[in-house]
Amino acid sequence: MTATLTLQSNAAMHHNWRIGFRQTAAMSKRSVLALWRQPALVVPSMIFPLFFAALGTSSFGRAINLPGFPKVDSFLDFSLAGTIVQGVLFGSVQSGSALATDIENGFFYRLMAAPSSRLGILVGRLAGAAAYGAFQTLFFSLLLLPFGMSIKGGPLGVLVMVLSGGLIAIAISGFMAAAALKTGSSEAVQGIFPLVFIMLFFSSAFFPRQTMSGAYKHIADFNPISHLIEGLRDICIDGLSSGAIARAILVPVAIMIVSFTLALRALAQRTAAQ
Amino acid sequence: MTSPIIATGLARYFGSKDEPIKAVDGVDLEVKEGEIFGFLGPNGAGKSTTVRMLTTLLRPSAGQAFVAGYDIVKDADKVRRSIGVALQDAAIDPLMTGNELLELQAVLYGIAPNQMKKRADELLERVGLTAAADRRVGTYSGGMRRRLDLALSLIHQPTVLFLDEPTTGLDPMSRLTLWEEVKRLNSEGTTVLLTTQYLEEADQLADRIAIIDHGKIVREGTPRDLKAQVGAPTLLITVAAQLTETATQVLKEFGDMRPTAEGTLGVGLNAGVEAVTDVVRRLDEAGIRVQHLELNEPSLDDVFAEATGYRLEGAKQ
Repeated sequence: MTATLTLQSNAAMHHNWRIGFRQTAAMSKRSVLALWRQPALVVPSMIFPLFFAALGTSSFGRAINLPGFPKVDSFLDFSLAGTIVQGVLFGSVQSGSALATDIENGFFYRLMAAPSSRLGILVGRLAGAAAYGAFQTLFFSLLLLPFGMSIKGGPLGVLVMVLSGGLIAIAISGFMAAAALKTGSSEAVQGIFPLVFIMLFFSSAFFPRQTMSGAYKHIADFNPISHLIEGLRDICIDGLSSGAIARAILVPVAIMIVSFTLALRALAQRTAAQ
Repeated sequence: MTSPIIATGLARYFGSKDEPIKAVDGVDLEVKEGEIFGFLGPNGAGKSTTVRMLTTLLRPSAGQAFVAGYDIVKDADKVRRSIGVALQDAAIDPLMTGNELLELQAVLYGIAPNQMKKRADELLERVGLTAAADRRVGTYSGGMRRRLDLALSLIHQPTVLFLDEPTTGLDPMSRLTLWEEVKRLNSEGTTVLLTTQYLEEADQLADRIAIIDHGKIVREGTPRDLKAQVGAPTLLITVAAQLTETATQVLKEFGDMRPTAEGTLGVGLNAGVEAVTDVVRRLDEAGIRVQHLELNEPSLDDVFAEATGYRLEGAKQ
């Protein structure tokens, strides 16, 4: 080996955000690539939410006339936000499970044995999840348009929704990543899925909170998923207002802060002593 | 220059504080520059745990170690920058291609973007994977994966290379190819620490070996010295099962019994090869018919058996 390589000195490396960025970008590229190359993992997170949207629209289409139901032209206008969040939840479980698989099969330790930034392992994974979440949001929004759905927020509204979708993906994937790093078991992460699904059913994903009553309403009121969904929904059925934008962005950011903190702690635990 | 790998009292305990499991229990080690050092031991002896500590993946419970001149705990990042690591079971992502993995590895080691391609091509050629570079690793054979793993560990031209069981599960041809490559790297100046379960591998490659058992180093030296220490050749004898006990009594007159595969008796001949005729005569006098007889000059296997009390998988009997 005669070629001389330009290796960054240790001190430079620590402070060189460009290298950190390159590493994080490479890691997120890898996580997106993994989805692209495993259609079997992607398809459920695209198909199931659409299935629920179709089912809801055909069964409860006339519910839009109920008192308390938001003013919409089609049940689909109402469904879109729930469909997106459902898809993102699926995708986030997938992303956490992929991180756990890396730990199981030892790829994680290849990353750990390299002088790369520890943060990049987590941030890269979350950035990949964000890209997928944003893609899902755009995909669902465009796909449902020809079926009578309308987005009041217009193209700019879709753009904000795509941004929000990416942030929601980070917020939820953060919890999944924390579970992955904590347990190191992809089965454990996938085991969270039923719980996530129950939380989805106890939210305003399928019906507006205004039409709920009793304990069910209380749970939905406190369920953060309701608030994630309603941020998107406001833009879709009420149009783009500063209040709607703030809700669509700030709610996922607030949850993201919590989940990212948990994930960072789990990462620190795993990368420390073991 | 100080030796590239120095460990003193290195230990790692798992489990509860009151009753810790001592996976590695005070290992002293010095690997000199330009050496291939073989770390031998049965499964669970503490080989991999030691390597994980030396490669900064696991924090020691006690003791100290310096790799490439840096403290593995205080200067972990400098250690990582200086060493190449190919871990057991070649942890490589089956969904990525060889090229993509090399590119990722190059980014992780901070190699400048304009040098990545050239470096990757060099390494792929070196390990004979140029043609498979754009295929997903999932389609690679076991040998190809190990070779790619080796290439990955070399991306930043490390001066010290850690190979954890690099040939476990490989067919003989693939094993030979990998040995050649390790020898070539070593001739270019890379210090290598390799763990193995294969005595032949250690015998072929290593300048010096250490045998670890129950977390402690039980023998250390050049293969030649270690074999000489065992001394006496081993006589392996098979007799009818019901006569095993009587035969053992007879054989004990000629030296210490040595562990062997089931159904075979082994004795270290204190008087050397000449004693064979006497052994056979005494057995005959005792009314024992010998079904099979084999004389083995001391091998690394004998060193191992003598040191640990059992023989390794795949060792010649």
